[in-house]
Amino acid sequence: MVSIIGTGIIPFGRHLERSIVSMAIEATRRALDDAAITRDQIGACYFANALGSSLFGDTTLGQNLTSAMGMVDLPVVNVENACTSGSTAFYLARNAILAGECDIALVVGSEKMCVPDFGLINSGATELDTLLGMVTPAGFALRAKRHMHEFGTTPEQLAAVTVKSRQHASLNPIAQFTKPETTESVLASPMIVDPFTRPQCCPIADGAAALILAGDRVAAQMDRAIAIRSAVLTSGRYENPADLTRWHTDYASVALAYEKAGTTPEDVDIVECHDAFSIAEILHYEALGLCERGEGGRFVERGDASLGGKVPVNVSGGLLSRGHPISATGVAQIVELVTQLRQEAGDRQVEDCNLGVAHCMGGDKKGDTKSCTVAVLSR
Amino acid sequence: MNDFSQIPPVYAGIFTADKPPSLIGGQCTSCGAHHFPKPDICPDCLSEVRGADFGQSATIYSVTTVRTRAPLGLPSPYSVALVDLEDVPCRIFALMDPEQAGSFSIGQRVSLHVAPIGVNNEQKACLRPYFSADK
Ligand SMILES: [Zn+2]
Repeated sequence: MVSIIGTGIIPFGRHLERSIVSMAIEATRRALDDAAITRDQIGACYFANALGSSLFGDTTLGQNLTSAMGMVDLPVVNVENACTSGSTAFYLARNAILAGECDIALVVGSEKMCVPDFGLINSGATELDTLLGMVTPAGFALRAKRHMHEFGTTPEQLAAVTVKSRQHASLNPIAQFTKPETTESVLASPMIVDPFTRPQCCPIADGAAALILAGDRVAAQMDRAIAIRSAVLTSGRYENPADLTRWHTDYASVALAYEKAGTTPEDVDIVECHDAFSIAEILHYEALGLCERGEGGRFVERGDASLGGKVPVNVSGGLLSRGHPISATGVAQIVELVTQLRQEAGDRQVEDCNLGVAHCMGGDKKGDTKSCTVAVLSR
Repeated sequence: MNDFSQIPPVYAGIFTADKPPSLIGGQCTSCGAHHFPKPDICPDCLSEVRGADFGQSATIYSVTTVRTRAPLGLPSPYSVALVDLEDVPCRIFALMDPEQAGSFSIGQRVSLHVAPIGVNNEQKACLRPYFSADK
């Protein structure tokens, strides 16, 4: 078994004066302090960054972090896997420890997106779909329209995801958007891509998060260690025709993660999932088995996904309110779950919080996703 | 009709210049599966794929309208859809007629056109295939 023994995160938002590496340094220092270990104890570094090469021409930044931190003679792996870059780094670090290659590994995700003319994210500039006008919000909007058509999901139910997200974020000091929204204010905001108004689309952000992972020998001496029961990474199947009301990969990854952890949806106390757009969270409720297929809109409208509800989802504020610095997101989700499972979440603490699921998804391909990660963590 | 022969396609080999135009996809020479755009080899069985006429008629499976800043010089707003082709079992992503942006609905029948719309990655004008509502 591999455990998480330290977490570090910096507030997400606009850090115009900070570099990718400078944010990573701060998150790493916080994680080392939290774990109460020294830099010399780190046996490997998995560094996630998705956009540095396209926005700034920067590559292999992981070694810039380790060298700035005086961490020497290490295996350093740079990871790019769209929105799952950070959670893929986590997956790889766990595997390295399971393989016996090291006792302690550092996972960092750092991203800088707040630059002029950032525009909309796509899934590859030379892909045919991108050239025909596919932008990320449109891919999710096509899912929303189909879900509304097949299951009667309403604009008000979509808006409920944002209202809940802001309520949660108001309790999280590192969240980007903490101002309350109402159903009316969400629906009255400017339309971005039908049916999403602006508050239903996750904002771009700068930010970094870090984790320290350790094997049993080390973790046994740490009383705040949180166990990783399973961690999976999968690509899709890309069959035609794709069903836009469900990602094949979403269901397959979740099923595999539950199976490997020996758990079921009934055991889940808290979820951090990839709510890039309001509909995404609704589809993930269904894939995660929190409700029946087609019922996701009604699930959130009833308050079942709220703090104090059946299974609180994205208590951190999620991508919609915490912000979405691409490769920091997958790491930040795990930071939140560890904080909750340690019962250290303060005002947003989920009661009886023993088992959590982190779920992340990245890139569009042929009506499915390029990458999906799911991790099950427990006290 | 205008002569578009001097304007490059946004993506090579995905439509014919006939009137009316046809979509060109790929059909596996071994298992018969249809793929769009035509892949190097069949992902189902790794056999050779030959170019095949995918026709010009489709039905909308889902559709949306992008109202924020448009990429690639596309008009704003513009609609995009997933459409089910009539001639082959294939659901594909499609740009919709800019003049009809915002007016499309699920289940509607549409047909293929080709015209200069927006620019390519080199910022040059290019031909894009798009679907219009049947009159
Ligand atoms: Zn084949």
